[in-house]
Amino acid sequence: MTRQNQSDTSKRLGGGSNAAPPKRIVILGVGNMLLSDEGVGVHVANKLMEMSLPPGVEVVEGGTDGFGLMNVVTGADRLIVVDAVKGGAAPGSIYRFDINDAPAYPDMYKTSVHQIGILEVVHLSELIGKTPETTIIGVEPKSLDMGMELSPEVKAKLPKIIELILEEIKRPSKH
Amino acid sequence: MGQKIVVDPITRIEGHLKITVEVENGKVKDAWSSGTMARGFEAILQGRDPRDAPFVTSRFCGVCYSVHQMASVRALDKAFGAKVPWGGTLLRNLAMGAQYIYDHILHFYHLSALDYIDIMAVAAYKGKDKGLNAVKDKVVGLVKAKDTFPLTPRYKPDEFSVTDPDMVTSAVKHYIDALTMQAKARNMGAIFGGRQPHYQSIVVGGFTQLPDVNQVARFRTMLDELSKFVNDVYIADVLAFGTGPLFPLAKIGLGGGHYNYLAYGALELDNTGESLVFPPGVIVGLNPKAIKVDRFDPNKITESVKYGWYKENKPQHPYNGEQVFDLDKKGAYSFVKAPRYNGKPMEVGPLARMLVAKNPDVLGLVAKGAKPGVVARHAARAIETRLVVDACYEWLDELLSEMTKPGFKIHDTAHWEPPETGIGAGFYEAPRGALGHWVKIKDKKIENYQCVVPSTWNASPRCEKKYRGQYEESLIGAPVPDPDNPINVVRIIRSFDPCLACAIHLIDPKSNEIKKFLVE
Repeated sequence: MTRQNQSDTSKRLGGGSNAAPPKRIVILGVGNMLLSDEGVGVHVANKLMEMSLPPGVEVVEGGTDGFGLMNVVTGADRLIVVDAVKGGAAPGSIYRFDINDAPAYPDMYKTSVHQIGILEVVHLSELIGKTPETTIIGVEPKSLDMGMELSPEVKAKLPKIIELILEEIKRPSKH
Repeated sequence: MGQKIVVDPITRIEGHLKITVEVENGKVKDAWSSGTMARGFEAILQGRDPRDAPFVTSRFCGVCYSVHQMASVRALDKAFGAKVPWGGTLLRNLAMGAQYIYDHILHFYHLSALDYIDIMAVAAYKGKDKGLNAVKDKVVGLVKAKDTFPLTPRYKPDEFSVTDPDMVTSAVKHYIDALTMQAKARNMGAIFGGRQPHYQSIVVGGFTQLPDVNQVARFRTMLDELSKFVNDVYIADVLAFGTGPLFPLAKIGLGGGHYNYLAYGALELDNTGESLVFPPGVIVGLNPKAIKVDRFDPNKITESVKYGWYKENKPQHPYNGEQVFDLDKKGAYSFVKAPRYNGKPMEVGPLARMLVAKNPDVLGLVAKGAKPGVVARHAARAIETRLVVDACYEWLDELLSEMTKPGFKIHDTAHWEPPETGIGAGFYEAPRGALGHWVKIKDKKIENYQCVVPSTWNASPRCEKKYRGQYEESLIGAPVPDPDNPINVVRIIRSFDPCLACAIHLIDPKSNEIKKFLVE
């Protein structure tokens, strides 16, 4: 990512200039904010951008983009994706899984954007040898109807989702 | 009655486009294109402040976000009576230029190229090139591990597929290089766009962010790298394939269609708006030897819902378009409406733009025997990428010169407040074709908003006059010798760069396995 991009899409506080470059942790909220709970990742990213986060942590709001997030994915050492996940539990339920725990392409998870979803982009990044350690924080949607508001069930979970993300960024890297 | 084959979804990975073809004696006899997901995001805009429209419409799609934003601000510029200063136009064009370069590289390498090569030919590469041997090892390794995403799933290679190991291996290497290049183009767009995806700086009246010389320099450095890739790799590959192993496909004119072409025009090269990278115009029934381009008249656009799942209605001009679904309508087979120009179906996109512009490189290929169709479409896309790259250099020079002038302006601040009432049409050229937004403002709020997107033109169903849509017509006569392997159908549709639905992308595992990862 360019410096321009970081300053506008993310909140980067601190970041000592004389120390070795810290691991870049990127929190990437994705989804379509015009389809109520489908946009939960966007709502979470927007909230996180208003908060003070530790040095080296960036927030990117990826909207409905897929392929176009290759620059974000390959620029991260650790990636935390926040998205709606249809897992069959009660609306507002939160899932956490490693990308390697997600059933592998092509049949097990399905992205319905016309081209390619964020998890496929992470897999594709392997082709250029820049794959971040990736965790998905998923939220079970209630409504995918047209509308820019979250359902009450999902909205009520925003503080908990953010709490889980903050725990996640403290978790030591596996590598 | 021939055999019916259904291809669903047809986009590279997933999609909302279903194509049904009837095959008789190894050729497509009839075809139906169905958009299988309801659109109608426009309803969300009614009653909102018009200035929200560019940002909301930019969320319609994750690929074409900035072009919706541009069509939207152009509609608002008209409705507000705003005059965008040249500096604002230059910045808009630079942000959009990056979008074009990104989109076309991605489309060719990552969404189309695999339809034309036999990827397994990589294993037979015997050359000494280190980079290519690394590619060979990688692909062979993926095949052994049975993990060939994203190179598969695919249809079986046919007699048109490129099998030369050197060519295929080099194409796969370029596929991988292009992943890095498209990411660079995205970053380049963010320099003036403020962020990406979903640019922040394009608003009614112009642009929000004053540029500085460092940004111009950074943009130029990235453009240099992309320019080199476009000229030395992308165009070289498209021409080597198109005039080499794929020339038989070009000669039979696979994927031709109605030979009607429409371009709204976009990307100003001077302050008068007269000189454009993509001039507007209409071609009806192309005669490649004497191309006749008519003036584009926006009043001649109508949308038919005859075969759409919408309440029966006469064809309407987009200002008066409505979205009332009728899912039980007899004969209906698509959520896509059927736009027509002067009653006729049109192709929009790179080939339409380059033919309307009478581009000498594209006409040269046609003169050599490449009938307009899939190969010409890919060639036109590559050639216009170079036009955009060249224009970006001009815009950077212009911008630097404008920045030094006293009173340098990027926004018409006198027209920021919405008018009491107003109407405006915003025409633009998205990478995949002509895009129009129509807005009606009443009491300073949006009263009606309609978009006609490029894939609506290309993917439309039939209309009152029973004309097939452009996808449908372009499939007629396509060779399908093996009904289980309709690879030509896929080549044709993908050559248009289909982009439908633009909507949901939640992660939807087919099993309930994911439940074990429940944390709350």
